[in-house]
Amino acid sequence: MTLDVPILKRLTPSMQRSIGISVAALAVGLLALFLGALPQRIAIENANDKIRLMNARLTQMRADIANTDQQKKVTGKVMAEWDALAASGVIEPLLGSFSMRGKSLLDPIAQQTGFHIDNVRELPSIPLQLPKPAPEQLHCRQPVEFTGVGSYQQIAEFIALTEASQPLATLSGLLILGQPPTPEKHKAIITFEWPAKGEKIKPETPPKK
Amino acid sequence: MRPPLHLDLLKEDERRSSSPIRLRVMMPLTALFLTTCVLVWWGLLFLRVHGQNQLVEELQQAVTSFTPSHTAVLELRAQEQEYHAMVHQLTLYRNSRNLFGQALSNLAEHVTENIQFTEMRIPPPSPPTVDPTRPSSGPTNTFELVALRIAGRTGGERPSEAVNTLLAALRTPAFTNLFRTAVIPKGAFRQDIARNPANHETLLFEITCDCVPRRFQ
Repeated sequence: MTLDVPILKRLTPSMQRSIGISVAALAVGLLALFLGALPQRIAIENANDKIRLMNARLTQMRADIANTDQQKKVTGKVMAEWDALAASGVIEPLLGSFSMRGKSLLDPIAQQTGFHIDNVRELPSIPLQLPKPAPEQLHCRQPVEFTGVGSYQQIAEFIALTEASQPLATLSGLLILGQPPTPEKHKAIITFEWPAKGEKIKPETPPKK
Repeated sequence: MRPPLHLDLLKEDERRSSSPIRLRVMMPLTALFLTTCVLVWWGLLFLRVHGQNQLVEELQQAVTSFTPSHTAVLELRAQEQEYHAMVHQLTLYRNSRNLFGQALSNLAEHVTENIQFTEMRIPPPSPPTVDPTRPSSGPTNTFELVALRIAGRTGGERPSEAVNTLLAALRTPAFTNLFRTAVIPKGAFRQDIARNPANHETLLFEITCDCVPRRFQ
């Protein structure tokens, strides 16, 4: 391959050779620069970023692992707090029935006060407000309606004793009706609600970047 | 004075440059030097990349070795957050409790002989408001109104005084921790003419007590 450039023809052969070597050397240099050095530089920058991230992650992991004992204590404390709260009145269905659970809880109190429970009915649960962040295991308000007969004092005492012995039971509905044939005995429809396990929601996945 | 004599000793190929350093020598040398520099730089960068790759591998191994312990800590933390959120939700519920037992027991002491209650009612809670676009975010209302409605009849001497006394009693500190207001709605104190039109002595009354709202906060 020959170059047919008039200006080169006027140069001496040694000068032509010199230019040829220079051009070839520069071409090799440029190839080495653009195909070798610059991509390597980009690779180094990428690797630096990766190393920085991994170092940060490793530091975080080491710090987290060093904190294991403390974390165990904190988790244990919160779990104990939850257990105490749940034991104080989060109800679970008795053989699939919240009404039977409610009856089993309040029958002794009814007997103690003289209030006669005729009927127990489970009402639809009511969703409970969610804190932020929301738990995966939700709890709801589970109302149970007790229909019975008793004097006003018996009814009031039944309600008071239930509130005292069931720290999470709340009177959410009441109807006391006077009955003309028996002025001393009233029909009472008393609705107590307890917190109960509700549905379990899936944790929200963070948005992908 | 005679003009100086100029002798031209330059060869023809040396005539183009005034520099004593020959271009045909320096040009390839410079090009080769630059190329060598680039190649050396490339080599150094290559070595650095190699070193960094080794470091990345070491870090990756370290991360892998720490992962089981770290996962255990993260699980503990997730458990803590879950239980904390559940406690928080039940605390919202517990804070909303209104205790009626004591107030209902106390009420009997303030009912005079010429007053007879015919009905006491606490209406059940209305369904909570939920954002239809985000039903999973739960109820949006943070409080719930609660009211106690007492209906009764009175008669005998000074029946209105007896009802007023009862109303005044509901506004005393024995009840104000539960009842914010106690009022007789307009037209709710009236003669009992529905049952017996001739009976003008028996009066019917209703008292509405607005209770402290249940605050789920």
